[in-house]
Amino acid sequence: MRSLFDLTWRLLRGGGRRGLLGSSLTLAAVAVSTALLLFAVAVNFAFAGRAERGAWRNPVPLTGTETGQARAVQAVRTGFVGDRALTVVHLAVLAPGLALPPGVPRLPAPGEVLLSPALAELAADDPSVAARVPGRRAGTIGDEALVHPGELVALAGHTPGEAIMTAQWKGDYRLGPSASKVADLTGAPSSDATAYQALAAVASVLMVVPLLVFGGAAARLTVARRDRRLSSLRLVGATPGQVVAMTVAEAVVTALAGALCGLLLYAAAIWPLTGVRIAGGGWFASDIWPGVLPVGAVLLAVPLLVGLSAVVGLRRVVVGPLGVARRQTPPGMRFVRVLVLIACLAATPLLGAGVSLTVVVAVLSAAFLAVNLAGPWVVGVIGRITAATARRPAALLAGRRLVDDPRSAWRTVSGVALTGFVAGFIGLLTPSASLSIENDPMTAWLLRDIRTGTLIVLVVSFLVAIVSAGITAASSILDRRQTYALLRLAGTDLAVLDRARLLETLVPLTVMGGGSIAAGVCCALPFARLTMSGTGALTLLVCVVAGFAGVIAAGAASRPLLRSVTADPAPRPD
Amino acid sequence: MSSQTVVLSGTGLRKSFGPTVALAGVDLVIHRGEALAIMGPSGSGKSTLLHCLAGIMKPDSGEVHLLGERIDRLGERRRSALRRTRFGFVFQFGQLLPELPADENIALPLMLGGLPRGQAVRRAREWFGPLGLAGMEGRRPGELSGGQAQRVAIARALVVRPAVVFADEPTGALDQATGHETMRLLVEATRHNDASLVVVTHDPQVARWCDHVIEVRDGRVLPYATPAPASMAGTEGR
Repeated sequence: MRSLFDLTWRLLRGGGRRGLLGSSLTLAAVAVSTALLLFAVAVNFAFAGRAERGAWRNPVPLTGTETGQARAVQAVRTGFVGDRALTVVHLAVLAPGLALPPGVPRLPAPGEVLLSPALAELAADDPSVAARVPGRRAGTIGDEALVHPGELVALAGHTPGEAIMTAQWKGDYRLGPSASKVADLTGAPSSDATAYQALAAVASVLMVVPLLVFGGAAARLTVARRDRRLSSLRLVGATPGQVVAMTVAEAVVTALAGALCGLLLYAAAIWPLTGVRIAGGGWFASDIWPGVLPVGAVLLAVPLLVGLSAVVGLRRVVVGPLGVARRQTPPGMRFVRVLVLIACLAATPLLGAGVSLTVVVAVLSAAFLAVNLAGPWVVGVIGRITAATARRPAALLAGRRLVDDPRSAWRTVSGVALTGFVAGFIGLLTPSASLSIENDPMTAWLLRDIRTGTLIVLVVSFLVAIVSAGITAASSILDRRQTYALLRLAGTDLAVLDRARLLETLVPLTVMGGGSIAAGVCCALPFARLTMSGTGALTLLVCVVAGFAGVIAAGAASRPLLRSVTADPAPRPD
Repeated sequence: MSSQTVVLSGTGLRKSFGPTVALAGVDLVIHRGEALAIMGPSGSGKSTLLHCLAGIMKPDSGEVHLLGERIDRLGERRRSALRRTRFGFVFQFGQLLPELPADENIALPLMLGGLPRGQAVRRAREWFGPLGLAGMEGRRPGELSGGQAQRVAIARALVVRPAVVFADEPTGALDQATGHETMRLLVEATRHNDASLVVVTHDPQVARWCDHVIEVRDGRVLPYATPAPASMAGTEGR
C-alpha cells in the first residue's frame, strides 16, 4: 500500500507544468467551494445563535395552572431611534431565585435599568433617547444577551403594580408582547427569529446544491486528465483496486489541500461578513464562525465527496484498460431524467403556506437536483440540433462536442443554470420597495432583509457559476490540447476554435438558463403572495446579463491557455 | 515537363532550440508530383525540417519558398491560411477529431475554407470509395481501425487539393502490412491529385515508396544510400 501511495505522489509531482496547472485548478475550485460551503453552513448557525441570544426577551407566559410558579412579570416594548430598533425589557421580580440569562450581570431593582453598550453611548449623547429608558443606570448588558453588536437594549426594573407591568398591548405583536407572568427568563426564540432561520435554511439549500455540483466537477477535472495515464497503468497490469486507490488518493490529497485553503479564505472573509446588516444589525465574529465541529465536518466531507466523485468519474477507466483509449459514440441518456424534473415541478403546487419547512426544503432540494439531472440530457438534445443545423465549422464542432460529452458541457453551464433557478425562485419573491419605516417598520425591515439575503445568495451562486465556468473551460482545453494543437497546425484559425468553444457554452447556456429560470419561478409560485415586483424583474434581468457576461469572460480568460497549448509546434500524444 | 516545376524549396535553413542546433543549414527542393522521404534517427532534426517547410515554425535564418513566394516571413494568420489551403497533413495518429464522424472530419478543412456544409460533406464522401472506406462515412474515429483512420486522414489532407502533403511518421502506429497499404494509398492518391509529398520517417520500408530519399543527421542533409538524387541540392553547403 505504501508503495502505491509513493507512486501516486510521484505521479502527482511529476505531472509537469500542465499537470501542475490542472492540480492547481482543482485546488482552487475546491478552495472556493469549501469557503462558500462554510458560509452556507455558518449562515444557519449564525441565525440560530441570534435566535438563542434573543430568546430571553421573548417571554413564554405561564398558563392558568402554572401561575403558582410565577417568579416574575415581563413585558417588552420595541420602538425605533431613526431606523435602529430600541428594545426595552420591563421586569418585575415576584419571587427570589430567578436565574440570570447569559449576558445579564444582575437583575435590576425597581427604578434601575441595565443598558447595552450602544444604548448607553447613545443615551449619553441624546437626552431624548435617555428619556425613553427611565431609571438609574445599574449595569451593562453583555454581548451574550444581544442579538447583534450595537443593538439598543435596555432591561428596566419595576414593581409588579406599575402600569407597564399590567397593561395589555394593542399594537403590532412584534413590537410589544403584553406583560406576562414567567417562571424564568429563558424565553423562546421569537417567531421572527424562527422565520429568519427558515429563510436561512432555504438560502443554504440554494447555495449548497450548486456548490456540490461544482465540487464534483472539480474532482472529475482531475480524473479526466488522468484518464489516459490510468488506462496505461491498467494496461501494464495495475488492478482496478490499485487504480481506484491511486486516483482517489490523488484527488483526496489535492482536495484536502484545497479545503484547507478554503478555510483560510473563509477566515479572511469573516471580518467583512460581520458588516452585512440583517434585522437591523451586523454580526459577532463568533456568529460567522460555525464552530470547530461543523468546520471539521466540512473539511472532512469535502475531500470525501471529491474522492467519491473521482471514483464515479473513473468507472469507465476501471472497467477496461481500453475503455478510454477508443472513443465511440456514447450511449444516449435516458428521458427518465427529464421525467424526474417534471415530477418535481408537478409536486410544487401542493406546497403552500401550511406545509412544514422540512417538506418545503425537501421539495426545493429535489427540484434543484432534478434540474441538475435533466441538464445533461437537454444539453445532448441541444447538441444534436446544433450539429444537424450547423452550416459553419464552429457550430458543427460545438454541436458534435455537446453530443459527445453532454455531461462535461453541462458542468460548464450548470453553475449559471442553477443560479438561474435561484434567480427565478427569488425573482418572484423579491418584494417591492414601497413599504417605508414609518407605516410598517417591522415589515419594511423584514422585506429589506429578504432583499439583502437574496442578493447574497445570488452573489454566491454567481461566484460559483463563473469560477466553475472558468475552471471547466480551462480544463477542457487541457483535455483536448492535442486535438486543438493538431487543428491549429493544419491551419485552423484560433478564432474558429474560440468561436466553437464559445458556442459550445452559449447555446446550452441560453436554453438551460431560460429553462432553469422557468423552473425556479414554478417552484416559487406557491410561496409568492406578492406578484412579481419591479425589483424582482430587475434582479432577474441583472442576473441574466451578469450570467452571460461572466461565462463569456471566464471563457475569454482561458484564451491565453488555448494559445499556449496550440503554440506547441510538435504535439505528441502524452 | 511539369515534374520539373519547383513547388517548395528551402535554402540555408537554420533553427536552434536554446543550445541545441536542430537545423544547421539545410537546402532542399521539391518538384511537382514528387514524393520525398526525409529519414534520420530521433533528434536528428527531421521533424523540425518538416515544420519549417510547412510554415508551422519560423526558421532562425534561411528562406522557404512555395511556388516562388517566400512564406517563412509571413505572419501567423497568413501561414495558417496557407497551411489550410495549400498544404495537407498526415500525422502518426490523433489528427482526427474524435467527436466528428469520418465524413465530417474530411469535410472540415473545406468548411474552414468557407464551403457550405452540404457541399463540403458531398465532396468529402467522394473519397470513401477510392480509399476503400465505402460505408464508413458515419463512423467516428474511435470506431475505425488504425489503418482506416489513416486513410480518412489521407483524404482529409488531400480534399483541399493541396500543393504539398506533409506526412510525419504516417505509418508509425500501424502494423507492417497495414503500413505498406497506407503508404501505397498515400503515394498514389497524392500523385493522382498532382500534389507533392514529403514524408518524415525512420523506416526504410516506408521511404522505399518515395521517389527520393534524403537523410538528416545532426541538422544537416546527407544523401541516403544512393548518390544524391536530382531533387536535392546544396547538401555540400557546410
